[in-house]
Amino acid sequence: MNEFFNAMGVMVYRQLKRFTRARSRVIGSIFNPLIWMVFFGLGWSGLFTSSMAKLLFRGLDYMSFLAPGMVMMAIFTASLFSGMSVIWDREFGFLKELLVAPASRTAIILGRSIGDALTALAQGVVILAASFLLAKQLTPVGIPLAVAIGLLAAIAFTSMGIALASTMRSFEGFNLITTFLMLPLLFLSGAFYPIDSLPLWLKALVYLNPLTYAVDATRYALTGVSSFNILHSTAALALSAIILTLAATYTFKKSTIE
Amino acid sequence: MAAIVAEKLTKVFNGFKAVNEVSFEVKEGEIFGFLGPNGAGKTTTINMLITLMKPTSGHALVAGYDVVKEPEKVRGKIGVVFQDQSIDRELTGWENLWLHGLVYGVPRSTLRQRIRQLLKLVELEGFANTPVKKYSGGMIRRLEIARALIHRPEILFLDEPTLGLDPQSRAKIWDYILDLRKEHGMTIFLTTHYIEEAERLCDRVAIIDHGKIIALGSPEELKQSIGGELIYLKVSENPSLYSAFLEKLSDIQGVLSVKTLGNRQLSLRVKSASTTIPAIFDLAQAAGVKISEIKYTKPSLNDVFLQLTGRALRDEEASWRDHARLRTQARWRR
Repeated sequence: MNEFFNAMGVMVYRQLKRFTRARSRVIGSIFNPLIWMVFFGLGWSGLFTSSMAKLLFRGLDYMSFLAPGMVMMAIFTASLFSGMSVIWDREFGFLKELLVAPASRTAIILGRSIGDALTALAQGVVILAASFLLAKQLTPVGIPLAVAIGLLAAIAFTSMGIALASTMRSFEGFNLITTFLMLPLLFLSGAFYPIDSLPLWLKALVYLNPLTYAVDATRYALTGVSSFNILHSTAALALSAIILTLAATYTFKKSTIE
Repeated sequence: MAAIVAEKLTKVFNGFKAVNEVSFEVKEGEIFGFLGPNGAGKTTTINMLITLMKPTSGHALVAGYDVVKEPEKVRGKIGVVFQDQSIDRELTGWENLWLHGLVYGVPRSTLRQRIRQLLKLVELEGFANTPVKKYSGGMIRRLEIARALIHRPEILFLDEPTLGLDPQSRAKIWDYILDLRKEHGMTIFLTTHYIEEAERLCDRVAIIDHGKIIALGSPEELKQSIGGELIYLKVSENPSLYSAFLEKLSDIQGVLSVKTLGNRQLSLRVKSASTTIPAIFDLAQAAGVKISEIKYTKPSLNDVFLQLTGRALRDEEASWRDHARLRTQARWRR
């Protein structure tokens, strides 16, 4: 058991170390949500000033509605793309070095997803700080809860990234899949607009999307406004995290046995 | 007890037998080499021994443990240097060694000391805090050797340890390998397609071709198994006279065998080159054949391979691969 946590800890350390060296990637994943917040958010904020709009966003101004979604977007993007390092390691052979080590593969993959989740969370926190500068109706009391939700979401989505990367053999394939997944998942998460009045068939997809619960719970934490009960959304997110972690472990193990 | 025992080890990929019922034993403290061309099954054999691949059939014991039933036990006893680079390029040399030591459960204080010693051994002390992506190919290989030794393995596996390296780096790595055996009595299993490497380093060599071991013994034994000396000659033109010449060649006293290598080149195995060469010239003159080139050698492992397979085990065979590899490295370095 001790060895298990030791190996896990080493992988966390390694992923964090790598993160500090990959500046361009970090800037990329922080830049994107900032762009959305500033250009998209500020743009619409000026238009959504009527009392009708207030009603639409449940008493929030648009920027305050959007900000929690952007925090989650930063975490989601960074998490999903961290799966790339699995392909990277395979390409550069480092994966083999790990596979001949007398350490549990589950420990290796868990350590890896926790390490990457922490780095994704750090990027989310940067956007969170920016949110407080741009949006007026956020409550600082909710920060600890938002960070906890962020970590849970980061673990879920790094696992999703690892699972995807384990089944993909090339950078191109991984990029293609993530691009195909990323935008639909983001648009169907309620990050940009309320999901309550979507047509039924889209709503079904929204409910299946783990990002929905992550965005909703973060919005609850930061503004008190939400579509779901916070306990329900947290439970749904936790369940997604567990399922995705199992999927990551399974696909990673499967991809390494010959 | 033998360090490695392989019994009828076989690996089949989609109906293709990459390794075909390979059996051998490696003694403790021995440097044992697999010599063969690319695609002969060397890396596949290593991958089965280091638990990265499951054999299709057959058994192997490494350090006394079954590679299929107790892979974790095997992993704890071995150190591996892969054919392709397997280092984290974003991290520094020190960090790579540090991570490796921790994964293998080396206590931190011991680990610090060992890293220092090993970096000194491979002459990389000055580059401990440099990210590996700035290392040359030879430096990376040396770091990988140091890394494989951190947890004090009983058996060291080296898959083509000097592939694609310049002659100086190669000579250095040979020195480390010989030192390891001399000072620590370490068992070393290596694969190579470089004849010189096998002759210089190995106590015993298994020659492998098309997934099968075709000869096994010390380099000396293998060379003696051919017997005698070798004469290569090239004759020019005139096919009609040539065939008559060829027929009579084997009648010369002391000629043990004649092999045609195509392109009017011949290899002769003879008891003594110094007495046979004049006889060959006499015969050529009588037959009206002109000899354009002649040389004789004591047999090398290449001749053993040639004798057994009819093909030469040339170093060039790997060059396209080395090339591709170096190009890939260059691409990533940019």
